[in-house]
Amino acid sequence: MKKAVFNVNNKEYMVEIEEDLRLLDLIRNTLNLTGTKEGCGEGECGACTVLMDGEVVNSCLVLAFQAEGKKIETIENLDREDGTLHPIQQAFLEEGAVQCGFCTPGMVLSAKSLLDKNPAPSKHDIRESISGNLCRCTGYNKIAEAIEKAAETLKKEESDSGTARRGTK
Amino acid sequence: MRDLVQNVYQAKDTETALNLLNQHQSEAKILAGGTDLIIQMREGNVSPPVLIDISSIHETREIKEQSNTIELGSTATFTDIEKHILFNHCLSAIAKAARSIGSPQIRNRATVGGNLCNASPAADMLPPLLAMDAMVVLKSKHQTRVLPLSEFVTGKEQTLLQVDELLEKIRFQNLTSNEGLGFSKLGIRNALAIARLSMAVYLEWDENHMCKNVRIASGALGLNAQREWDVERFMKGKHLNNSLFAEVAALLEESTMKRLAGRNTMNFKRYAVQGVFKQALDEALEGMDRRKDS
Repeated sequence: MKKAVFNVNNKEYMVEIEEDLRLLDLIRNTLNLTGTKEGCGEGECGACTVLMDGEVVNSCLVLAFQAEGKKIETIENLDREDGTLHPIQQAFLEEGAVQCGFCTPGMVLSAKSLLDKNPAPSKHDIRESISGNLCRCTGYNKIAEAIEKAAETLKKEESDSGTARRGTK
Repeated sequence: MRDLVQNVYQAKDTETALNLLNQHQSEAKILAGGTDLIIQMREGNVSPPVLIDISSIHETREIKEQSNTIELGSTATFTDIEKHILFNHCLSAIAKAARSIGSPQIRNRATVGGNLCNASPAADMLPPLLAMDAMVVLKSKHQTRVLPLSEFVTGKEQTLLQVDELLEKIRFQNLTSNEGLGFSKLGIRNALAIARLSMAVYLEWDENHMCKNVRIASGALGLNAQREWDVERFMKGKHLNNSLFAEVAALLEESTMKRLAGRNTMNFKRYAVQGVFKQALDEALEGMDRRKDS
């Protein structure tokens, strides 16, 4: 066992971990953040996608100790302080991009990573951004449409509030 | 894999990693992106008592060019490579190879060093780097060795890396105006595809379109990615034209049939190899046309 400090969703956690614990197990079992899912466990399906320093990673292919000193963001961090959904989540609901929902947390985080860096993505950019997330229900079209809609909403929010956008274009 | 890993270290610089390697020798395994090793560990194929994580080392992640020599740090991820300005133009085949790997999630973690040191027969970065005649810089606590990549990889998942050594960087000459590099990969789909066949072609030509130099490397066409020395010898000194390319395609078909004799992929790859070669070649030749026009 090993003591380690993790920054997950802007909160610091000091926990004891097994040396070979995966980041996925830390998130789900140690921190009880069960929004992150385990699908294949070998980096193919993207259900376990989280953001590490803003970049999408498969948390089944990162050992927890490798994530020390990094900022981890999971699906639980997305809804806003007033309890409303993040525009990406809202768009997924409105567009019918969720069926069984197992891939959804990973899909939403892949979309967030894209939109944080590229507020006006092309259709190709959108499909590329979710190419590491498998969905067996929707056929992807509705997911891609939801991400497009979320981009619009975020752009509108941006111009309404007039604040500087995060990330780079 | 529970109970087997006893110690893990997150090295923040090369020196720390080398000291740890020197201390633990064969007990230790280097962990970078983890996209292969963690799967291997979970399947019980490897069970290292000590893991040394190098994915947070910044100094080995650098990609830079100095007096026409490109140095590619071993912990550069495929995302780093695909987005780097050095691989935007003439060397775009290298970015293309990086982009062909896995998914965004995989490319954000997997490193070029891991790809070379695992030396899978289908490793995607091996063909383009072999075609660039790259050298690998291997460091241990006490010495630094520089080897040609073609000698470093000795077989399927076999390299000359010693237990106390770390692949620090990969070094190769940038292209000059009469050189080109092309890469082509055949996978079963666009994302998350393991190469069924890949090929990289480096060409140097003179003003009369004669082949001054050529290096061809293939992936997934045998036990390890390799240089196609016979084809290279055949092409050197000849005029780069369609009749030569047809002869080369026939040569590749013949050698593929020999190399894969008895395998059920042979009948598919003997034809596929010709198309994959042609695509890589065309991309290498694009440079010729572009520079001629400009």
